[in-house]
Amino acid sequence: MNRLLLTLAIATTLDSLLFSNPAAAQVLPSAKRAERVEITKGPELELATDHLTIISWTTNNPGGSDVHYGIVHYGTDPKDLSQTAKSPLRLNQGHPETIFRVRVTGLTPRTTYYYQVTSMESNGKSDGVKSTVRQFTTPGPGERIVSDTE
Amino acid sequence: MSRNTLITVAAAFTMTLGACILPQTVSAQQESAAATTAGKPPPTTPIYNPYPPGILPSDLVSEIDRVLREVDVIEKRAIERWQSLPPPTRSGLRPGPNPPVLKGTGTELTEALGELMLFDKNMSPNRNEACASCHMPYVAFSGPIPSVNLTMIAYPGTAHFRAGKRTAQRHTYSPFFPVLQYNQVQGLFFGGNFWDSRATGYKLRNPDGEQAQGPPVDTQEMGFPDTACVAFRLSKAVYRPLFEQLYGQGSLDIRFPNNTEEICATPGGAAVFGGSVEPIKLIPEDRTEANVAYDRWAQSIDAYEQSVQVSAFTSKFDASLKGAYTLTPDEMAGYNLFKGKGNCNSCHVDGRGTTLMSGQVDTSTTATANPPLFTCFGSANEGLPLNPRNAFYYQSKPDPFGFTPNPLGFGYRDLGMGTFLRSGFGSGPNPNRTWIQFAPTVDGQMQVATARNAAMAPPQCPTTEAPGPYFQKEFFHNGYIKSLKQLVHFYNTRDVYPYDVTSGHCPPGTTEKVDCWPRPEVPSPTTIDMTTGKLGLTDHEEDLIVIFLQTLSDGFTTPYANADTFTGRCMTGGSAKTQGNQFLIPTPPLPACAPEVCGVAPVPNPPIP
Repeated sequence: MNRLLLTLAIATTLDSLLFSNPAAAQVLPSAKRAERVEITKGPELELATDHLTIISWTTNNPGGSDVHYGIVHYGTDPKDLSQTAKSPLRLNQGHPETIFRVRVTGLTPRTTYYYQVTSMESNGKSDGVKSTVRQFTTPGPGERIVSDTE
Repeated sequence: MSRNTLITVAAAFTMTLGACILPQTVSAQQESAAATTAGKPPPTTPIYNPYPPGILPSDLVSEIDRVLREVDVIEKRAIERWQSLPPPTRSGLRPGPNPPVLKGTGTELTEALGELMLFDKNMSPNRNEACASCHMPYVAFSGPIPSVNLTMIAYPGTAHFRAGKRTAQRHTYSPFFPVLQYNQVQGLFFGGNFWDSRATGYKLRNPDGEQAQGPPVDTQEMGFPDTACVAFRLSKAVYRPLFEQLYGQGSLDIRFPNNTEEICATPGGAAVFGGSVEPIKLIPEDRTEANVAYDRWAQSIDAYEQSVQVSAFTSKFDASLKGAYTLTPDEMAGYNLFKGKGNCNSCHVDGRGTTLMSGQVDTSTTATANPPLFTCFGSANEGLPLNPRNAFYYQSKPDPFGFTPNPLGFGYRDLGMGTFLRSGFGSGPNPNRTWIQFAPTVDGQMQVATARNAAMAPPQCPTTEAPGPYFQKEFFHNGYIKSLKQLVHFYNTRDVYPYDVTSGHCPPGTTEKVDCWPRPEVPSPTTIDMTTGKLGLTDHEEDLIVIFLQTLSDGFTTPYANADTFTGRCMTGGSAKTQGNQFLIPTPPLPACAPEVCGVAPVPNPPIP
């Protein structure tokens, strides 16, 4: 029932803003922030080549600003995740889940990295969620690792 | 260069181009180009052609000619419509805060003026290029030449063959973009016009109008050397009485110097101007009048582009909102993917409430004013590869006028909004100093176009997709993508088939755009949009989304104005998956990003190679 009310509330908001004439008013308002953001899947290695690694995970829809950033803190020492990668995505206000995907570049081949993920709104406000520390090993030159899950 | 030399060069250049375009039937100018060049010797000015063989399409001259004939047809129709409209009622003064509205036909006349301007080829030094030369109705006011869309991607300007750097954006619904704003709560930019949002609307409060003020003085487009040339040519236009009817008698009574025609017949950037952007010497009062006339130009074109002739809201989708059309099962399936698995409506906002749960009712289908525009008014770096066919890269040598469009050659990188915020090479000046700090956060970002009319094509070749018969369009800012199937496949698989190569160098055993996507031109991990890249759509699901996109083309409930004017040829054969792949060329070894682009503070972070 709560979800229905939320749906109707969003629909009404969209109606009043999208279908009104002044162009400036057609910029959508932020979605209501989720009370609690949880990782429901991952994080995991989505893709690893010798030039690009992508880490992805899924959360419930965090709400808030239209653009969110997925953040990966990583390093070769599990106690020193001092390097950071972040990538933007555009939140879909109508979707119950959000898939974060982050591009990590400049990694050394055949090397084990440890990482932990977080996310934030475009203005830097944290979504308040953090994963456990995980690891992956980069492939050798010319090789590629592809996750077999969607 | 002396004044006589200037006249000689300008006249010769006019003749060169005139040879291509002279058989015209209509001119919106009281003094036609033919009259000014009649009896002159054959052309002698060489065409600017810094391009390697194969960059310019072989039918370029005939296709430019074809479009100019079509432009004239529409201009003639516009003149007839204007002259058929009854005059508005100009009411006298009356009590109360009533503005001086032109009652009755004021709206139609304002829109008619914009249309007359948009299709007026005299608004270029050589009287050979109208706004519409790159924006024709039968493709929703985007690029009308299939071979250009297939090869050089940027359209040739008045000075043949200077060319711009990006694809011609559709005009439809561009007036609905708000003034560019940085939303502090969102931490995002919204609005503006042009791919890089440089038409902000800061002054006219109208980004679409300010967009219309760009091409007439763009050195590689319509190419006037001075904004006052627009007022000068307006003062000689057959529709001058309409301009004065709307904006006042005397509004074009500007005391232009005797050499104004010669100046306005010379493309901008010519060495003879010595870098001056106001070579017409006007007294301050007349310069002000010319500037006001240029603002009227902007307002009028905006009025036309917002009219039902351009932004029509007459698609199948619009009909379905009203209950006058039921989407077919494939169209509906495509729509559900568009707003579901494909996640397209995260940016191409469809105005519907949300994804419905079982048993819920969509209460958001009633349009009270404007139906959804299928854009979030934002910008995104989608990670497109550099397109080595872009004519801009090759214009690194001076043309016959001593102007070099792109001294950086392949050292140029298109950082889109990032370069605009830095007021960098290839963009416009940023009028808001508080925005400069955000440049590294928007590098590579281009405006999120409305999905409306992406699929619009002329009636005789009513699709953009091979095997057709189809009209060859170009998609995204650099035209790398040649069909909607490829567009959806790119969003779906960019990060499934990434290769660290440039276009034209995919590994053996792979097919570019099918199972090989070259690396992004602007590879910044912090700006590439990760909403897309791996959507998990099947081949059939991609096709369904294309079918849905085709429901967004105007002209379903009522015919789209002037869509009948295409006289070119359709294309047939092949597959939408590999459409245009026969024109892929190997990207040359790329020099580092030039300091004029990547060395302007605040510099891109991380650096762009």
